[in-house]
Amino acid sequence: MLVIGAGPAGLAAAFETASRGLDVTIVDESTVKGGQLCQQTQIIRALPSIFQPMRGFELAKLLTNQLEDFSVRYLLKHRLIGLYRDGSVGITNEVDVFPIKFKKLVIATGAAENAIPFPKWTLPGIITIGAAQTLINRDFVIPGKNSVIVGSSDFAMDVALQLLDVGVNVKAIIEAQSDVLARDKEKVKRVKKSGISFYLNSSIVEARGKDEVSEIDIQLPNKRITEKVDLVCVDGGRSPILDAFYQLGCSFGYQGELGGWIPQYNEFFQTDREDVFLAGNAAGVSSQGAVIVTGMIAGVSVCESLRIIDNREAEKIRISLWRELENIESSLYPDVWQARINHIKSFKYPLLKNQFIL
Amino acid sequence: MHIKNHPILGSCLQEPVTFYFNDQPYTAYKQQTVAAALIANGIRMFGLSRKLVQPRGMFCARGRCCSCYMTVNGEDHVRTCMIKVEEGMRVYPNLEDPEIRGD
Repeated sequence: MLVIGAGPAGLAAAFETASRGLDVTIVDESTVKGGQLCQQTQIIRALPSIFQPMRGFELAKLLTNQLEDFSVRYLLKHRLIGLYRDGSVGITNEVDVFPIKFKKLVIATGAAENAIPFPKWTLPGIITIGAAQTLINRDFVIPGKNSVIVGSSDFAMDVALQLLDVGVNVKAIIEAQSDVLARDKEKVKRVKKSGISFYLNSSIVEARGKDEVSEIDIQLPNKRITEKVDLVCVDGGRSPILDAFYQLGCSFGYQGELGGWIPQYNEFFQTDREDVFLAGNAAGVSSQGAVIVTGMIAGVSVCESLRIIDNREAEKIRISLWRELENIESSLYPDVWQARINHIKSFKYPLLKNQFIL
Repeated sequence: MHIKNHPILGSCLQEPVTFYFNDQPYTAYKQQTVAAALIANGIRMFGLSRKLVQPRGMFCARGRCCSCYMTVNGEDHVRTCMIKVEEGMRVYPNLEDPEIRGD
């Protein structure tokens, strides 16, 4: 089995298959295993029942360590960039490209953060909220002195607190909607207590600066103000990374709550290409815990399709995993869960099919 | 600025390296990416955009947006958020389209 992506979903899929005796190869663009969990220092609570609440980087370590005893090969600093005529995929190390043949492929490429456009949003110093977190927790670098955050998701709240912890002055959280979007009200309370202002019904009019951002104009409901900042963190939500699915000719559906266009898949987390499965945020943007469960479901389904476990056994495990997914997803994000159900139902009626030349 | 004592992860910056930006020496630490090493040293403009010729720097830190392209050890268009800084590395800004490599 070939897995694209060594994040939580890819690692979970690898565990379900490798622990049942399959030979697994995991490809990842990065130098480390664990994906975006590596820089998550906040405690993640909504996890599958086999895991205790723990910090993201600890979870990354656990998911990696549990693969140690099995036949798992890693190709780090490698990427999937295409498909050969014989069905094998093209993998590159940025110098050479070589084909890899597989019996089953699990694509767990994750999601990318969206930008929020406003005049001069491309100035240096204006970065994604995830990039700010990465600088602090992966690279140990202070991203700026005076900042604002645009957007108010749960993730923005986590990073706001982490910015404060390393001495960055977070002047305000700017939200275009009339309410804070974060669902974890306890966390919002902590952010408010820390003294960060919330500007609701507000947005950035323009950023200014010569070689990097130095000030921004903010439109508040009743007036326009200017803030001197050297760091703007934009929290524009995330979209699934779909390049690999386009190349493989998978069909797509649209679910706004899951991040927009996503590959069409069934309850096995199998695309309309029988040998291609998917997992994680690539199958719809969700929480870390949900992402792990989707990886487990994909892994079990791969084992079933290769007859490593029989249908009845697989179905039993899958039903309990789906229940777990429902628990995690519907508690904080019921609309995400609903979108997932709708998406599975529309498997046979994809919006986009045969759009891409093979 | 480098975070010498991280509130949760502790003191992780152990092995300093010297790298060069525009031939000037700067200090960074082994596990940092080139982009982060530059930002730690107060350098945030990594180049100019090719069409509008506007300043560009790191944006996504994930290798997706390509806003952090620079020339590293003679290689053009390197995503500096995806490679680690090394001793003696020579980094230059991405100010115009590179010559197409012949090999």
